[in-house]
Amino acid sequence: MNDGKGITATVAFALCCLLSSARLVVDAPNPKHPPGNIARQSDQRFSALKAALPERGVVGYVGEPGTPALADYYLAQYALAPLVVDLSPNYPLVIGNFPTTPTGSTSNDLQLIRDFGGGVLLYANRTSGKDNK
Amino acid sequence: MAIALPALLCLASGFLLIPLAWPRRSPNVPDHLFQLSLSVGYGLGIYSIVFFLLRLLGGTQLVLVDLGVFAFLLVTFYLFRNRRTIVNVPPVAETMRDRPAWLPGVLTASFAVALCAALYSAVMRTLAYPHGDGWDAFSIWNLHARFLFRGGPHWRDGFTPLLPWSHPDYPLLLPAAIAHFWSYLGNDAPAVPAIIGLLFTFGTVGLMFSALSILRGRNPALLGTTALLATPSFIELGTSQYADVPLSFFILAAISLLCLHGDQRHNGFSHGSPGMLVLAGVAASCAAWTKNEGLLFLCAIVLSYLFVLLHDKATTKSWISRARPLAPLLAATVPAVLLIAGFKHFIAPPGDLLSDPAATLQKLLDPARYWAILRWYIKGFFLFGRWLLLPGTLLLLGLYFAGGKAGSDKSNAAIRTSLLTLALTLAGYFAVYLITPYDIYWHLRFSLTRLFLQLWPAAIFLFFLLLRYSPKASVQPGSVSK
Repeated sequence: MNDGKGITATVAFALCCLLSSARLVVDAPNPKHPPGNIARQSDQRFSALKAALPERGVVGYVGEPGTPALADYYLAQYALAPLVVDLSPNYPLVIGNFPTTPTGSTSNDLQLIRDFGGGVLLYANRTSGKDNK
Repeated sequence: MAIALPALLCLASGFLLIPLAWPRRSPNVPDHLFQLSLSVGYGLGIYSIVFFLLRLLGGTQLVLVDLGVFAFLLVTFYLFRNRRTIVNVPPVAETMRDRPAWLPGVLTASFAVALCAALYSAVMRTLAYPHGDGWDAFSIWNLHARFLFRGGPHWRDGFTPLLPWSHPDYPLLLPAAIAHFWSYLGNDAPAVPAIIGLLFTFGTVGLMFSALSILRGRNPALLGTTALLATPSFIELGTSQYADVPLSFFILAAISLLCLHGDQRHNGFSHGSPGMLVLAGVAASCAAWTKNEGLLFLCAIVLSYLFVLLHDKATTKSWISRARPLAPLLAATVPAVLLIAGFKHFIAPPGDLLSDPAATLQKLLDPARYWAILRWYIKGFFLFGRWLLLPGTLLLLGLYFAGGKAGSDKSNAAIRTSLLTLALTLAGYFAVYLITPYDIYWHLRFSLTRLFLQLWPAAIFLFFLLLRYSPKASVQPGSVSK
């Protein structure tokens, strides 16, 4: 690779790399206006509920339907760890997470214990046979 | 200040461990940079395992145990530091030296610009996404770290079959390393996983630059590292708090250590020194303790090295004698393999990959799945990395065909082993897609780019190792001393 073609290729390679470096700079987010800090927001949303729940064990979960709402469930589990949040209403204590439809669950088995605001609710399941632990 | 002690312990422990097996003496800065970069990953790996074992045994005196481990490494270092056989390695003759005088300046400037751009992007992303960017950060890695830290004696609650989506069977290097730091801080500060992400990202950059500098000189090192720094997805993924870049760090470490072992300047010496192979085994072990793909990589590197050793046509030794150099590498992986096997068997619920043998067999016999994966592999080869205008893979191909071509080092056993390892790992990923229990297109869409990025630093490293840049003057054997 001692000829002019090799040198040209080396310089062209470096320049093409720098084009992508420019993309990195242009696409860098502005920390003052983050596109969506969902995990931090979720920790804040669930902080009051977390204080009202047992420190460990398993609680149930009901949320909005559809695959996109799965992220809400994952975020609830992240915020409430080390409590295990099972995607099922069959527990004595059930968390309701309805960020966009704050009316909550319509199930007759779930009795609202407390509304924490922002679509975060805590229910008691009157028919559940499962233990919280 | 609470963070200073574990940070210091991690770095110092790596520094103590590496020289024990490092058989080179060189005044070169790249040697020191390589060991420094390696120390970061090894230190995090060591204390991740220490933290996990402490949780497993119900221990609570973390600081005492950490100091005990450090004292053990310190004593071992002082006992064995003078017993090592050292090879005095001459610095590599500067390659590309018959180039115009302005070329090194251009390459240095390109590298500096790429480094500044990558640092700027990484810092901005870390500040903007303190909890990571993407689902896997909070639904897998940081969630496991929270269970290990917040769960206290009940940390196993997080590794329950009730949360299959969090992949409780995934190895714990990253979560346990994060929880280790959180335990010193007393809270789960998001800065910890963010900083660990930055350390692995720029540690990989340090490894790449130093390893290529040692083996091929400064200019190929500048070019190769610029290519890595300019891969947008690599920097973005590194600051997303996923485990793919830490895995790429350990894969590059294992491959580069293997190639350092095979460095022709060690002729007549390296086969007698297990040091580099032990360190390569430790790196492969850390890869396996980072992600399940790392386990695949560990198997691939062992099998590849065995294959290359057994097919060495230059020797007439028995197959046992030929396979003997594998022993140090294999021995270094045993503790990690036992640890991972214990974790998978006794703590983690079964993974979802082989949950239905009948369905798995049916998928293996479906040619449409092979074709689908092959198409995605080809498409991914050109598209991964989010390069602007020209994909990085095409740029490398262009450089190759413009006159680089493969050099004589193709015959080097370490390089052949490394190439075979990457090929086997890619084949392993292919097999996993074949039998995946998820929708194959969904799985390919959300993971293939990350899998390619795991191997990308090692691929760039091997590419510049093979490129015909090195004059023969650079492969003179070194002298051995005690």
